[in-house]
Amino acid sequence: MRLFENLNIDFLSKRKFAYIFSGTLLVLGLISIVLRGLELGIDFKGGSEIALKFENPISISEVRDELNQIGLGNIEVKTFGGETGILIRTELQTIPENVFGRVTSAIEKHIEEVFPGIQKNIVEKTNDAITYQFESDSITKELSTELFKVGLQTSSLQDNKLLVRVGVADWIEEVLREKIADNRFVVQKADNVGPKIGGELKRDSIIAVALALIVILVYLGFRFKFAFALGAVIALFHDVMITLGLFSLLYGIIPGLNLEISISVVAAFLTLVGYSINDTVIIFDRVRENMKIHKTAPIEQNINSAINKTMPRTIITSLTTLFVVAVLLIFGGEVLRGFAFALVFGIFIGTYSTVFVASPFVLEYARRFKKKLEF
Amino acid sequence: MKEFRFKLILIAAFVALSVYLLYPTYADYSFTNEIESELTSITDSIRASNPTISDAKLSQIIELKEDSIRISNPAIKNAREKRVKLGLDLQGGMYLVMEVNTAKLLENLVKNPDEDFMNLLKEAEEESRISEENVVSILASKIQAQGKRLSRYFGSIRDEDEDIIARLEEQESDAVTRAIEIINNRVNQYGVSEPNIQKQGARRIIVELPGIAKEEEAKRLLQGSALLEFKLTKEPDFAIPIMNRIDEILAGKTGEEADSLNTQDSADVADMTEEEFAKEHPFYSIALVSTNYPYPLVKENDRDKIMSYLSRPEVMNVIPDNVEFLFGAKPAITQDNENYFALYLVNKEAELTGGVITDAQANIDPQTTQAIVYMYMDSEGAREWSRITGANIGKNCAIVLDGAVYSAPRINTKIPNGSSVIEGMEDLNEAKLLEIVLKAGALPAPVDIIEERTVGPSLGQDSINQGFNSTLIGFILVAIFMIFYYRRAGTVADLALFFTIIFIMGILAGFQATLTLPGIAGIILTIGMAVDANVIIYERIREEIATGKTIKAAIESGYTNSYSAIFDSNITTFFTGIILYQFGSGPVQGFALTLMIGIVCSLFSAFVVTRVAIEMMTAKGIKLNIG
Repeated sequence: MRLFENLNIDFLSKRKFAYIFSGTLLVLGLISIVLRGLELGIDFKGGSEIALKFENPISISEVRDELNQIGLGNIEVKTFGGETGILIRTELQTIPENVFGRVTSAIEKHIEEVFPGIQKNIVEKTNDAITYQFESDSITKELSTELFKVGLQTSSLQDNKLLVRVGVADWIEEVLREKIADNRFVVQKADNVGPKIGGELKRDSIIAVALALIVILVYLGFRFKFAFALGAVIALFHDVMITLGLFSLLYGIIPGLNLEISISVVAAFLTLVGYSINDTVIIFDRVRENMKIHKTAPIEQNINSAINKTMPRTIITSLTTLFVVAVLLIFGGEVLRGFAFALVFGIFIGTYSTVFVASPFVLEYARRFKKKLEF
Repeated sequence: MKEFRFKLILIAAFVALSVYLLYPTYADYSFTNEIESELTSITDSIRASNPTISDAKLSQIIELKEDSIRISNPAIKNAREKRVKLGLDLQGGMYLVMEVNTAKLLENLVKNPDEDFMNLLKEAEEESRISEENVVSILASKIQAQGKRLSRYFGSIRDEDEDIIARLEEQESDAVTRAIEIINNRVNQYGVSEPNIQKQGARRIIVELPGIAKEEEAKRLLQGSALLEFKLTKEPDFAIPIMNRIDEILAGKTGEEADSLNTQDSADVADMTEEEFAKEHPFYSIALVSTNYPYPLVKENDRDKIMSYLSRPEVMNVIPDNVEFLFGAKPAITQDNENYFALYLVNKEAELTGGVITDAQANIDPQTTQAIVYMYMDSEGAREWSRITGANIGKNCAIVLDGAVYSAPRINTKIPNGSSVIEGMEDLNEAKLLEIVLKAGALPAPVDIIEERTVGPSLGQDSINQGFNSTLIGFILVAIFMIFYYRRAGTVADLALFFTIIFIMGILAGFQATLTLPGIAGIILTIGMAVDANVIIYERIREEIATGKTIKAAIESGYTNSYSAIFDSNITTFFTGIILYQFGSGPVQGFALTLMIGIVCSLFSAFVVTRVAIEMMTAKGIKLNIG
């Protein structure tokens, strides 16, 4: 079977439309990023996130109602892989001081259940742990085991001291265990990222994407001409910005599609950069070849012919890649969904930008600087 | 055919190697299935015979059973070690980044702190959150900015600021080393398989605990300050009768019977087969007593078994209330690749706890050139220590950290002033370790968890299934499309694609790399992109044929002309892979890795595998049909 063989379309002449199209997308995306912002995951923002799997189907609104009353402020609750799974997220890393009293009384209620009326002393209180002191070592040990059984984290210390740790996630679990007692759950995944780590990850991600663009610029400048390298990198930047804009425009709009920016989405961006550059290099390679053979032909003709000649390959590779990425989007599970979405969109935008951004740029550059590009 | 021989051998060798490397993964998978079904039937039979058994008890029995099955067959262990490693996101487990709390450390080290200092410290801590600089240097510059010298708060009055900063930073890194040892010690005792504990930068520790089902348990391993104790060990003439009784009870003998049999037994020992001995002496068959080591030795894998023996109520009855059995923290000896741990019987009540230790230092004794450790105590501790050592000359005193014995030196003389010398270390490294241990209980520099990621085993298994299904579906879709579009040449490309996947997995297994969920995504993406090289080549061959070349010539120039495009495009993608690997953490690195391996493998497949196949087909006169 043959598709798009012997195409002869003057792609370059339509570049003005492409500029308007790309420009519109870029501006829309940027406006959305400024006004709506991006939904950053806890990887970058810091915070706590837990995924729970219940034994029976669970109502999101019920969980949301329960959790909005525990004083932790705005808690996000979403479905996570089917109707028995939920994802709970908060930006808080530690329990706020005004809620700590409730946490303490919850712990003390458990202690009372084991040893009614026992003598206890609070030795130290930090933002995620309380240290008690008891009369004897055996009481401490016993309580440590008993509290642990109800889901609290404990460790017995020297001098009959007992440290009870309560992070935000522990507190949420504790509340749900009590409030939704008839539907038991297991913790599927629990993440807790400190603000410092979040900041570092953000910085590292920006450096990574920038560095990738620079490395590509240098390598292509070396293998081709600077105009080609610059065109390719501008196209890549265009792809990244538009995809980012789309993430900003669409988050929260399509139900079931989680469009927050996480580490794996950044990985998808870099993959998209890798895929898009693949495409661009293959067309440029043909332009280079054409320019070697038809030295006197105008550059438009060489570029147009290169785009047309490589079109079957462009379409077929995009298709096979699209197949697998779509499979990932559908069957790859909740964890990879954002990643797969970025790639599905990236394949379209990457293919488009090769033909309508990178190639026209080379032409414009050659015209603007009246430069004769040759190999 | 001669011209193809080398390439064919090369391909065959790579395929064979990959299959060889992947075999353990397959073996591990089938062993796991076998063990699982065996365990299910055991669970059922236990439930049937004892319907009231608690879940906790049952799971404990099953865990023990599983361990013993795994240990009994070396092939199972071997396969497990050589299989493709699964990341924490696939097998479940816990990933933690911990950081030593420098502000707290400084608060503990400072002498005569005033309000000014506390404010500066607080500011420095805040600033360090968003700054590249560490708390020590921020605080130092803040103090200097106020025109004060650091010696006002740290060190002695004559110290230069630089020296103080250097010393504080050393304390900081000391605290990290100590925390690592404490965590190592706890993790080893807990028996986590394949733990990974490493230092990152100056102040961070990364802890990876695969397969920990209950996150709380993992955190218990890491939280809380360490407990260092000095406990007197029991002499053999006290310990041996107790162990004899334990052995008899475990063998199912009653008191009187055992006594009468005892003498007879020892005479017969030489005649017994190994199995008979294990049956007669369940305890001594795994707690090995020898004449050249003062304590019984237990193989690494038998430690759990000993612990479960010792926790049986009938055994606990014969162990006096004031003593307990403890294992050594590190192997006492290693023989034939097997680690043996000493089993100590010590007083339950600690003579002293580590809080009294003010300093410890590993050194080389200038006279004997032996490694030694100096240990210093505060005045209160020194008084106690003098009494303890005086009363127990000739006995051994175990140094116990969180329930594991690091060393049990003999008390040679009464130590009056609290400064002791510990001898008998193999080398300076061992002495350094003891130094760390001795300091572990002394100075509290809390280590905070700053990043924590837990994946439950069920989500991990789901991810594996989803990843596997996606790979399969993706492969089938691409394969069908290629055959549909390129006919026979498409079949060749599919074959190459299949080899590519085998190669990727083989390389992952061979280099002991870790497969993560994003890593699987990388493989799936490779499936889509790997055919690209073939597509470029095939399209080019079609073009060459269209210019009127013979098939053979078209193939030749098709390959030659596609070379630069394929090479350049893959190199650039490979670069992004390297960057991703450098900047990413755990799972993302897995993705970058499979992406890079995928590029190399798919290039090999395109330029070697398909090329040989296509050239052979044309040489044999099979018409190349590229659709």
